[in-house]
Amino acid sequence: MIAILGMVLGVVAGLIFQPNVPLWLEPYLPIAVVAAMDAVFGALRAFFDGIFSDKVFVISFVSNVVIAGLIVFIGDKLGVGAQLSTGVIVVLGIRIFTNVAAIRRHLFHA
Amino acid sequence: MPADGSAPLARPPGHARQATAPPVPGSTGDLGLLEYVTAHAVDDDYAGTDRPDRSAQTRTATLVVIALFVVLLITAATQTSRNAVSDSAERADLGRQVSARRNDLAGKQSRIKALSRQISGLNASLSGNAKLSGGTRARLSLLGIAAGTTAVRGPGVVVTVDNAVNGSGRQVVLDTDLQQLVNGLWRAGAEAIGINGERITSLTAIRQAGEAITVNYADLSRPYVVSAIGNPATLAARFAATPNGQTWLDLHQQLGLRFDVTVAARVELPGAQANLRVAQVMKGNNR
Repeated sequence: MIAILGMVLGVVAGLIFQPNVPLWLEPYLPIAVVAAMDAVFGALRAFFDGIFSDKVFVISFVSNVVIAGLIVFIGDKLGVGAQLSTGVIVVLGIRIFTNVAAIRRHLFHA
Repeated sequence: MPADGSAPLARPPGHARQATAPPVPGSTGDLGLLEYVTAHAVDDDYAGTDRPDRSAQTRTATLVVIALFVVLLITAATQTSRNAVSDSAERADLGRQVSARRNDLAGKQSRIKALSRQISGLNASLSGNAKLSGGTRARLSLLGIAAGTTAVRGPGVVVTVDNAVNGSGRQVVLDTDLQQLVNGLWRAGAEAIGINGERITSLTAIRQAGEAITVNYADLSRPYVVSAIGNPATLAARFAATPNGQTWLDLHQQLGLRFDVTVAARVELPGAQANLRVAQVMKGNNR
């Protein structure tokens, strides 16, 4: 319920403010989105598992996004930004797949 | 699967299979990296909260975070699509530039081809005219020497003449005296003559203008140095044998005019301007 409300709110806010990403932040946006997706799907699975906690969700979301961006930033400074991005995407992708598979099992029992 | 947090719930079959995967030694605990990642797909903190915190404050925070997530998602998507649009526009622009440059290049290459054709044609005509042009050039320089328009150098004699020392009345050099001198030198075989650096050309007049003598409309100042290019062995002797030379010997002996003749190994004479405005070449004249 609250999640759907938040989504609607997000769409409305995005349409109203039309946020423009500054150039220096642009390389970190995709990885931040993937990290946020990981946190959201983890939260969704925890919700279906019956152990969802708002506090944990908020903290994990923010820390995921910040850490993912930081890793890519440091990788850029070291000259291995692309490789580190790939590593982060692989790990987060596996987590997202696992969580989505668990959610699917909860929803369809298959 | 100790920390999954979903232990109390009924396990789906797929999950059980993952749990029985053989542990890989030497990495995170007794799990391999991939197993570890899949086992900890949900944050461990969710399992730690026994009673879910559902206060109004944290629910608002969840709302805000989800809204933030959606905004992030939409922004990233629009940014990517916007970049794609500008990328394709750039690519089209580059393509246009490439084709424009290619056309330019083709035009220049065809121009090069035309110009090189022209060059080879001109080269052919030049080599055809080479003999003629060499002969013409030699003839031209010969005519320039004879007419006095070309600077020349060579052996010859230098005749220095001047008024008598402390002389007066008739004891000065006149234009007719200089004319006599120049004519005598021509007669003795001189090929080019100049007076005080003024070349005697086919149009030169030596005449009195008031007190001064002018050659090529330039006033001469004393002494008058007449330089002649010719055979140095015979020029002076042949000049002395001419009536003009005799006249000058008389002038020297009777009036006391200065008259020095010296043989010079190297005489240099400048060329003079010869402006012809009226005379034209007669057609059919080969000489």
